[in-house]
Amino acid sequence: MNRSTVIDAHNVSKVYNPDTIPVYAVNNVHLHLERGEFTALVGPSGSGKTTLLNLIGGLDRPDSGEIIINGVDITKLSDNQLIDFRLHNIGFVFQSFNLIPVLTAKENVEMIMHLQRLSKGDRDTRVGQLFDEIQLSDKLNSRPSELSGGQQQRVAVARALASKPQFVLADEPTANLDTKSAFNLLDIMLKLNQEENITFLFSTHDQRVIERARRVITLVDGKIASDTAPVNVATTT
Amino acid sequence: MIVLMSWRNIWRNKARSVVIMISIMLGLFAGISILSLYKGMIHSKVRTVIDRESGHIQIHHPKFKDDYLPEFTITDSQAVAKTLQIPNVYAATQRVVTSGMITTTTGSAGVNIYGIDPESEKAISKLDEKIIEGNYFNTSTRNPIVIGKKLATKMKLKLKSKIVLTFMDSTNTMVAAAYRVVAIYESENAPFDERTVYTTKSNLNNLLNIGDKFHEIAVILNHDEDLDAVTAELKSKFPDLLVETWKQVSPETELMVSTTDQYSYIILIIIMLALAFGIINTMLMAILERTREIGMLVALGMNKLKLFTLILSETLFLTFAGTPLAILLSYVLITYFNNNGLDLSGFGEDMMKEFGFQNLIYPEFPWDKISGLTAIVSVTAILSGLLPAMKALRLKPTEALRK
Ligand SMILES: Nc1ncnc2c1ncn2[C@@H]1O[C@H](COP(=O)(O)OP(=O)(O)OP(=O)(O)O)[C@@H](O)[C@H]1O
Ligand SMILES: [Mg+2]
Repeated sequence: MNRSTVIDAHNVSKVYNPDTIPVYAVNNVHLHLERGEFTALVGPSGSGKTTLLNLIGGLDRPDSGEIIINGVDITKLSDNQLIDFRLHNIGFVFQSFNLIPVLTAKENVEMIMHLQRLSKGDRDTRVGQLFDEIQLSDKLNSRPSELSGGQQQRVAVARALASKPQFVLADEPTANLDTKSAFNLLDIMLKLNQEENITFLFSTHDQRVIERARRVITLVDGKIASDTAPVNVATTT
Repeated sequence: MIVLMSWRNIWRNKARSVVIMISIMLGLFAGISILSLYKGMIHSKVRTVIDRESGHIQIHHPKFKDDYLPEFTITDSQAVAKTLQIPNVYAATQRVVTSGMITTTTGSAGVNIYGIDPESEKAISKLDEKIIEGNYFNTSTRNPIVIGKKLATKMKLKLKSKIVLTFMDSTNTMVAAAYRVVAIYESENAPFDERTVYTTKSNLNNLLNIGDKFHEIAVILNHDEDLDAVTAELKSKFPDLLVETWKQVSPETELMVSTTDQYSYIILIIIMLALAFGIINTMLMAILERTREIGMLVALGMNKLKLFTLILSETLFLTFAGTPLAILLSYVLITYFNNNGLDLSGFGEDMMKEFGFQNLIYPEFPWDKISGLTAIVSVTAILSGLLPAMKALRLKPTEALRK
């Protein structure tokens, strides 16, 4: 598979409270991500990780700069177009309380495909595959409240992949997990990355998680302080 | 999937949802009960007007009702016989009608004086059944009069009391005659009892100086549905006379029938308006509690229309959950009282009579209003859902997710 650009962000800035005490949460950031990357976004608390992920994920709009995803400048999309763009191009895993409590694990994943108007047959096949991959085929019909934190995060990963997105954004996906569950989740993400070439960009504070990333981008005060060169990026031909 | 979600969502806070459902149920139950009471009252009022007061149809000289002048009589002595020939006419009677003054030792009052044919009148106004004291015109008293209980009480009259009636005859001459009370009647309509007195037709014929002519024919039909057909036939039979249905004879009753429908809907709307605040409050709370979740749905790509549908269908479920039960419950209760009657004399026997209603009401289930009721409930649900839905649509995913 050829390498191709999925995220191309230029001069991206986000300022909170511009009229009172301005906070440069993201300050003139350039970011380039290729398909198949497994990249960690690190930095001290308040350094702008969440803000940057929200901007790239089209949840928030930058004050300046452009964010090109798969050739589309998402800063130019209308609100409604942006919602639709997110649905079809970006997978999200949040820190906690990811799942809709009234839906079963299966329904949580299925919901995304439902929003995409996939047929029942297609949905069932894909749900089957995804639950195999996250090793939770026996929990299809459990409610989130009946799942452990780690299991919930795995279902969230499955849901993020349900739409066959360009990449998956995860904001501190392991922050609320014990070590074992954290590694288990990371293993699954890595496996998906290696076997299916899924692109992951995740923020984290966890040193053990950082060690397993192939590229580490460090933010400090909204600026990229370091960007260790990608090692071993899956570039099979 | 969205409908499934909204259905499950309303059960997340069971207590709160059940409270609102029960209040909607009780509100509708009360509303339907009031409607059925109305319907029963109106029905019995219409029945009273037709079966015990005016009859289905009345015929007069076209000018008679302008000033009730005795000279405007129906001259065709065969008119009643001709009317009775029409199929579906059950009974008909002729009346002499005038207005005058009743004078006693204690005072005087204006009254309508009916000269009736005691025999055929029985089938029309059932006056004989309304007698509570004395005998129905089967005495040899020379000038007999039957008066209403209300008038008797007001003028302190008893059986055998003597009164004087004063009125104009057909030549505009003042006539006064002494009468003796032979019977006192009481109908369902106290104001009517106060201003209506009866004597015999032959008696009034003489005093009014109109030979054996008369002013009014009152007709009762076999079936209410025949009203229009028989009215048309009578009109063609008597082109020179004024033929009117009970709706024209008693316009206040007809008005009551038509305004009750409007009142019914106004009552329902007021009830639902009050309930709407509860619904809005419940939904706003539900959305506040789920801010994060809604933010996430939007983040994942749920568009505004779908989010709106989600909130609105939650509101619809919440609003409609209690409706079938309210209908069922009121149906059971109303059916019971429809069979057994609901005695409202506890509210004051005289009050109901003052308004011309019977004390025993047979409430009727307002089937004709159920579709209107459903429409009002739907509109309430949709309107109550709008504000919470707007609130949900305005949530910014980044801010909602921070919660
Ligand atoms: N809605 C907001 N309004 C004002 N300031 C904000 C807002 N969101 C974030 N900030 C500020 O922007 C800066 C970056 O915040 P952000 O949440 O992106 O940091 P972070 O790197 O994700 O931190 P953490 O590791 O604690 O999650 C912080 O100084 C924060 O206080
Ligand atoms: Mg953060």
